[in-house]
Amino acid sequence: MAKRLNAELWDKMHYLFRDFNDRMVHVEFSYDFVPDIDALRTVFICAFEKAPVLHSRFVDTRLSTHWEIMPYSIDEVFTVSYPENLRQAADEFLTQYIPPESDLQMKAALFIKDGKSILCIIENHMCMDGGDLKYFLQAFCENYTAYVEKGISPVDFRTGSRSYADVYSGFSRTEAGVAQRLFRNINARDDHRFPLTADNIRDASFIARKKFSEDTLDKLKAKGKELGATINELLLAAYFYSVYELAGYDSGDTVMISNAIDLRRHMDSVEDKGFTNHTSWMQCAIPERGKDIFETVRYVVKSSNRFKKDKFMGLYGLPLLNFGYNFLPHAVSEEIIKIGYSNPLMAMSNIGVLNGKHFALCGNEPADAFMSGAVKYKPFVLLTVTTYKKVITLSMCVRGNDEDKRIVDDFFGLMEKNIEALIG
Amino acid sequence: MTDFVEYIEASCKGLSEGRLTYLYKRSVLDGMKQRAKELLRTGLTDEKVISDLIINEYGDLKASYDTFVKKQKQKERAHIMKYALPIGGVVALLLIFIAYFTVSRFTYAWDKTWLIIVGGIFAMIIFYFSLAIKKLCTMGHIFRTAARVLIAGCVMLLSVFIFLCLLMLLPENTVTWPALPLGVALMLLCDLAFSYATKQKFRTISFFVYMPAVAAMAYIVLAAYGVVSWAGGWPVVLVGLVADLAYIFAVLAYNMKYFVYRQEADE
Repeated sequence: MAKRLNAELWDKMHYLFRDFNDRMVHVEFSYDFVPDIDALRTVFICAFEKAPVLHSRFVDTRLSTHWEIMPYSIDEVFTVSYPENLRQAADEFLTQYIPPESDLQMKAALFIKDGKSILCIIENHMCMDGGDLKYFLQAFCENYTAYVEKGISPVDFRTGSRSYADVYSGFSRTEAGVAQRLFRNINARDDHRFPLTADNIRDASFIARKKFSEDTLDKLKAKGKELGATINELLLAAYFYSVYELAGYDSGDTVMISNAIDLRRHMDSVEDKGFTNHTSWMQCAIPERGKDIFETVRYVVKSSNRFKKDKFMGLYGLPLLNFGYNFLPHAVSEEIIKIGYSNPLMAMSNIGVLNGKHFALCGNEPADAFMSGAVKYKPFVLLTVTTYKKVITLSMCVRGNDEDKRIVDDFFGLMEKNIEALIG
Repeated sequence: MTDFVEYIEASCKGLSEGRLTYLYKRSVLDGMKQRAKELLRTGLTDEKVISDLIINEYGDLKASYDTFVKKQKQKERAHIMKYALPIGGVVALLLIFIAYFTVSRFTYAWDKTWLIIVGGIFAMIIFYFSLAIKKLCTMGHIFRTAARVLIAGCVMLLSVFIFLCLLMLLPENTVTWPALPLGVALMLLCDLAFSYATKQKFRTISFFVYMPAVAAMAYIVLAAYGVVSWAGGWPVVLVGLVADLAYIFAVLAYNMKYFVYRQEADE
């Protein structure tokens, strides 16, 4: 009988999201050299052995769920090819979908041309979120370097518990008791949606990106200091302002955009924890568009400050979800949770700064690095923000058509215009 | 493979030489070789990495030696019990019958000495149930339900035996049947205690259901012995509901005191 792993709370939640997105997390590192392919294969195998959930299939028996560890070959995990068009090959690879029932939950590819290479990785969000994926990639690159340069076996990957309950590990006993009783569902609904076209069978996944100039980050930092806002809040304000304009909402409408928050902020240490999800949503709402973007910033700051002051930010409703999944057959609990849970129609995830040194292979930092969340199914959208070498990249992964691509590009254009207005 | 042997020998230095240690080393080596085969199938070719990865997975061999010894001893004990239990059962039955015939032969109280057979067999069943309960408690959480059924069985056997003893040994016309409702109450209380001790799911619901039932049994027993009248003693039943309410208020008060977060107050 195959070895089993527990399906943890967040695994089940992301499984529930199958109606909203394809659950794939995308990574792309462009290097100006060609890494040692055999070494990459070896490091991938070690990483997979240390995180067995990556070579497991998700089993849903309707009564309960679990992971079943499956045998695999590195050739199924990691492929190397020499395409004519690197960009096209990378995009094609990144927009594929791994079903949770498949034997592997992560796939990687190296595309090589003219001494340059792109390392692409896609991973099922059920296994880990952006925060842990960043650590995974950092550990991967460090292990690769140590293996190639010093011959040290690449076995230095974190292992341990994947339980959602680890999120309470940084609290005192009483605080943890309080947090474990936060049954209240604070998830509010908002019907304002991103103006994409209607679903169509011909829709295909695409990743739209927008890069900003290097000085944008510094200017945003300076403006943030002046306005008492973080870069995240400024970007969120620009998101709000742009979407009002793009979708033509009434300027007096209250609009809500959910912002992904890393729950590891509540934890003491993650050193002895396995790869998993610890991400929740913070619902940022503004009462109206504001007469200019500066007013929108004030609304955003006010809204997010309320969350920031909350000691238990992002932990509301987790005990209720845990209760639902523990005490009811899986199929029933899913149906009940669907009633109370409303997936945000518009969301933003700021993965943060990608440090080139962390992703260097034998001292070769990526020329470009990019991470992005799942491909959302219409009408849901997720704006992902990554910053690499001072360049802010906005991306949106959508299953749509050419018209949707144009709409997303228009949105990026508005974002650029509003950010320009903001930083003056 | 030489790496593995050397690693095992080095890690197990200091462990007493003996059959158990040999068995442990052999099982670790077999496990490592099996794991190496699995890794080869994935496409990993660097032998040093295979070896380091496996050694890293096994970690501290001395620490897991204690677990191995414990498991081996459990296995040996289980092996002995496999024979000891049926043989012991037959011997116990023989002893019960010998005791029955001996006591009966000398006392000529044949109408009462059959209690020795019933009591002996009940004691044997309770003993076997206890072993099963112990085993079930070491298994998964789901098996605790079966343990609860067996505990209830033990308590009921005990109360039936007490009832039979009272019936046979006390003078005629003595009210003895309350031993049975008392047994039911005891069974519910034991189940509740087990639920709380082993943190069973729905234990609070069990509390709410059991308390009125226990109070009803208490009312029957008290009324049977005339402590309260049948007509006027019914408020005893309400004690169960009062206990439920008290429990609800106690939990609420405790939670409100320690586990309610008021962000506004905090600010």
